[in-house]
Amino acid sequence: MAVTEKNILNRLYFVAGTMFVFVLAVVFKLFVIQFVQGEKYRDLAEKRTVKNVEIPANRGNVYSADGSLLATSIPKYDIRFDALTPSARTFEKYLIPLCDSLAKYSGKPSALYQNSLRKARANKNRYYLIARNISYSNYIRIRNFPMLNLGAYKGGLIVEQTTRREHPMGAIAHRSIGYEKVDSDGNVTRAGIDGAYGEEYLSGVNGHRLKQKIGNGQWKPIADYNEVEPQDGYDVYTTIDVNIQDIAHHALLEQLEKYKADHGCVVVMETKTGEVKAIANLGRNPEGYYYERRNYAVWESHEPGSTFKLMAVTAALEDKVIDTSDVVDTQNGVLSFYGKKVRDSKRGGYGKISIAKAFEVSSNTGIVSAIDKHYRKNPKKFVEHLYSMNLNQKLGLPISISGEGEPVIPHPDDKNRWSGIALQWMAYGYGVSFTPLQTLTFYNAIANGGEMVRPQFLKEVREFDKTIVPFKKEVINPQICSEETVAKVTQLLKNVVEKRHGTGHGLYSPNFSMAGKTGTCQKDYRNKEKLNYISSFAGFFPAENPKYSCIVVIHEPDKSVGYYGADVSGPVFKKIAQKIFTDTPLIDEVEQLEFADAKAEKDFETYYEVAKTYKTIMPNVVGMPVMDAMALLENMGLKVKVDGVGDVRKQSIDKGVKIAPNQTVVLNI
Amino acid sequence: MHRENIGLRFDWITIILFLILVGFGWLNIMSASHMGDITNYFDMDQPYGKQLMFIMMTLALIVIILSIEAKFYERFASVIYLVSLISLAGLFVFGKNVNGATSWYGIGGMTLQPSEFAKFATSLAVAKHISDLQTNLKFLKDQLKTIAIIFIPALLILLQNDAGSTIVYASFFFVFYREGIQQIYLIIGVIIMLLSVLSLKFGVLPTSLFSALVILGLYFYKRKKQASILMPLTILALCIGFSFAVRNFYDHVLKPHQKDRISLWLRLEKDPDKLEQMKRTILYNLNESEKAISSGGLTGKGFLQGTRTTGKFVPEQHTDYIFSTVGEEWGFAGTTMVVVLFVALILRILYLAESQKSQFSRVYGYCVASILFVHFTINTGMVMGLIPTVGIPLPFFSYGGSGLWGFTILLFIFIKLDSNKINEW
Repeated sequence: MAVTEKNILNRLYFVAGTMFVFVLAVVFKLFVIQFVQGEKYRDLAEKRTVKNVEIPANRGNVYSADGSLLATSIPKYDIRFDALTPSARTFEKYLIPLCDSLAKYSGKPSALYQNSLRKARANKNRYYLIARNISYSNYIRIRNFPMLNLGAYKGGLIVEQTTRREHPMGAIAHRSIGYEKVDSDGNVTRAGIDGAYGEEYLSGVNGHRLKQKIGNGQWKPIADYNEVEPQDGYDVYTTIDVNIQDIAHHALLEQLEKYKADHGCVVVMETKTGEVKAIANLGRNPEGYYYERRNYAVWESHEPGSTFKLMAVTAALEDKVIDTSDVVDTQNGVLSFYGKKVRDSKRGGYGKISIAKAFEVSSNTGIVSAIDKHYRKNPKKFVEHLYSMNLNQKLGLPISISGEGEPVIPHPDDKNRWSGIALQWMAYGYGVSFTPLQTLTFYNAIANGGEMVRPQFLKEVREFDKTIVPFKKEVINPQICSEETVAKVTQLLKNVVEKRHGTGHGLYSPNFSMAGKTGTCQKDYRNKEKLNYISSFAGFFPAENPKYSCIVVIHEPDKSVGYYGADVSGPVFKKIAQKIFTDTPLIDEVEQLEFADAKAEKDFETYYEVAKTYKTIMPNVVGMPVMDAMALLENMGLKVKVDGVGDVRKQSIDKGVKIAPNQTVVLNI
Repeated sequence: MHRENIGLRFDWITIILFLILVGFGWLNIMSASHMGDITNYFDMDQPYGKQLMFIMMTLALIVIILSIEAKFYERFASVIYLVSLISLAGLFVFGKNVNGATSWYGIGGMTLQPSEFAKFATSLAVAKHISDLQTNLKFLKDQLKTIAIIFIPALLILLQNDAGSTIVYASFFFVFYREGIQQIYLIIGVIIMLLSVLSLKFGVLPTSLFSALVILGLYFYKRKKQASILMPLTILALCIGFSFAVRNFYDHVLKPHQKDRISLWLRLEKDPDKLEQMKRTILYNLNESEKAISSGGLTGKGFLQGTRTTGKFVPEQHTDYIFSTVGEEWGFAGTTMVVVLFVALILRILYLAESQKSQFSRVYGYCVASILFVHFTINTGMVMGLIPTVGIPLPFFSYGGSGLWGFTILLFIFIKLDSNKINEW
């Protein structure tokens, strides 16, 4: 039937055609949605109803060398309730138990909660605040309350976390531990270790979470999980030793208070490694109390005064232009250069003394005339020698990316800074400028046999028990001077404390040895009215085979109380040295005593064997020591009567007999 | 009648298309339903885990279907149909109510939806009836019989409050049309649809006037010999009557949510406040799904990267709205690919159906193609707002064991029948 065939084919085409039209419509609509309306929807929908919220990663902790917590982030939680999420049944079933739990938690009446939760549901409040700023343990507690324990989708629980940075050690080393602050404009202030290593190690990687707008500028998390999980920051282990830090802090504080000084700092460094064991910075606030205000040790570059004589003498010794035994004339305590005078603190000077003694008594004229004599014609040699000992370079500490003070040693070619008296004044620490830490680094190099190491604040960066970045000792200059020179200046520094005439002899202790140099530097000396002092003491201990070096700098002590470096700063140094000395255990090996003798051991073995086997049947205790036998039988619940002392010879109940509790057995010895 | 290697006779193009659709569907279910980390693909607490299990069971099902003798399906069509009707009727007694529809049996922790299986049972019955030598679709009596076969399960499903699945049964019209019912039915069908839309959009009076104009115009224009005016007047009366009926049906019979869907589709609501309100409530799903699709752009955001999908913005996204996941994560490229896959599958089935020697196989093939087509267009159309919201799944894609098994059985019985065609005379 040709007609029918054709007819059928037409119908087939019609069916296929209809389908094709429908499919075309679908594709067309797809095109419209994804390309034509796409932009509109994307802009409108995504921005207005969804946003990607950053979840800050937990910041790593800062620890001391021994693992004490110095800075940590404490999570705080806000608990909210989506009153519309629970079904009517769930809501009614769990409302009262939930409110009872909340009442028990907060002490407010349950009825109050019931009222406000019902109201929240009636008002379609999807963001009702239950508790704000609570600790983790309380968060866990509330999360397990009825209804809320059903989770976000069934119970309507909404949890939001915030973090606060806390310093468990309080004010101690606060400034060096540091912080990272973000003000309302988004400017970040970073300070100390926390700030310096913040971005690299502590901060971690932030996560993301999608939130949906629910009106009134409130945003509700969409899902139970985070789209991108935050990666917590690493922990940073500092070199700070809490005990040394503690003693340094309090010794400095005591001295500052005693001398009503403006501010001061202490740094203790391990000689071999450069690890900073303690760093304390205290400044007086207008009310007269002392706080960690600025990191003076790292930031404040000042004229060092007499502590710089070490550098001058080292350079001269190394150039072999002087020796410690050379005699200099202190010229009645006054030297004049171009009308300017160098004076000794002792009126009339010390007469003709050796350079060694000039150093020990800190004679300005003695040292200045020695330096003047040998370098007047070629000051460049002296300055460049100082440069070669890396004294004109910053230490390059990460802790002070922007904060480390610039060391200043003018060069003779620099006409703006150099003058006719620059060399002479430089010799006793004026016209140059260093931070306390820079000075200490030099003293430490002397203590370390000439090897100059960079001060270290960090031991390692860790993630749980895994070391991520170890920090090794960094050498700035492997040998700043010959060992011979080191030995000579070390002796000088020792004598400062040990010799009766030494400026630091007041610190002398027969129990432990110290070496160091006092410094009493005039500050603002161009204006007599404002004249003030910087008292410092730098050195190391024990004098032989030094372990730690330390610097104490106190600015503007009350002149009426005292201002000499030895009086103001020295005691802080001594306290720290003493503390470390007493804390270091003496190695005293005690030979382990051999207690166990063969018989006792054998007795125990028999006892143990029997105790394991017999529980309700009388064992054979004949031949056992009486103490073992008693213990054994009493453990089995028997009452034991003993007759005599020694080993058991006879037992009243024969072995193998079944025993009853509280039965009495007599042992004949 | 020599037997070849059985495997070679299966239509592998269809099977591969099927596998691609199921596999891609599962990836999208995973996107739409995962809760963060996917640690275990077989996690039975998650839809993607369950679906993977359903897919595994489907593979077993396929082996069973393909190993049964092809003649079995024709011979036992009536029995299968009866069992299916009983299972549908049983829902009134044992059914479980999910989302307002009583379409599920709860067996242990699982649910079974008999309406998904009724589709292939009805297809078998229709194919068997039409291919009966005594049946001639040109006769009204046979037409009515055939309609009854479709109408009974459709009615049962409608009574269970599952209007969406009921609409699918309209797809059999394509089959009847192909099998030679009179053209007039097509014309009537088109007129009915036109009248319905017109009555709702413009009201009864304009529709009546419009029909009068067209009918009388045609009458006077075409009038060559003296034809009675009675005939066109009767038609006009019927049209007007129908228009009234539609209006009444819409106003009084339809449930509010169904009314709202139609009203939104035909843009009947003019009050902007009410419209805004509707958008936030009944249009919520559609809005979110359109936003998800539109945010995908040309190439999409990538697998598991869709923010609106992972954010669970689109309710029921892993079931009826799975197409929006494709739109967001795979973009226009992905959606077009899905469209192409479905079109290829349906065309392939139509092509195979035409090449069948037995009428039973051919009619059954048409049933399969029509059902898949209707599901596909309604689902994708509704996800994008092309047609009113009708809750039916996207075949092979949407989450759900019953749906997947229903469609698989539907398709693979045809593949089996097709593989047997060289044995037919």
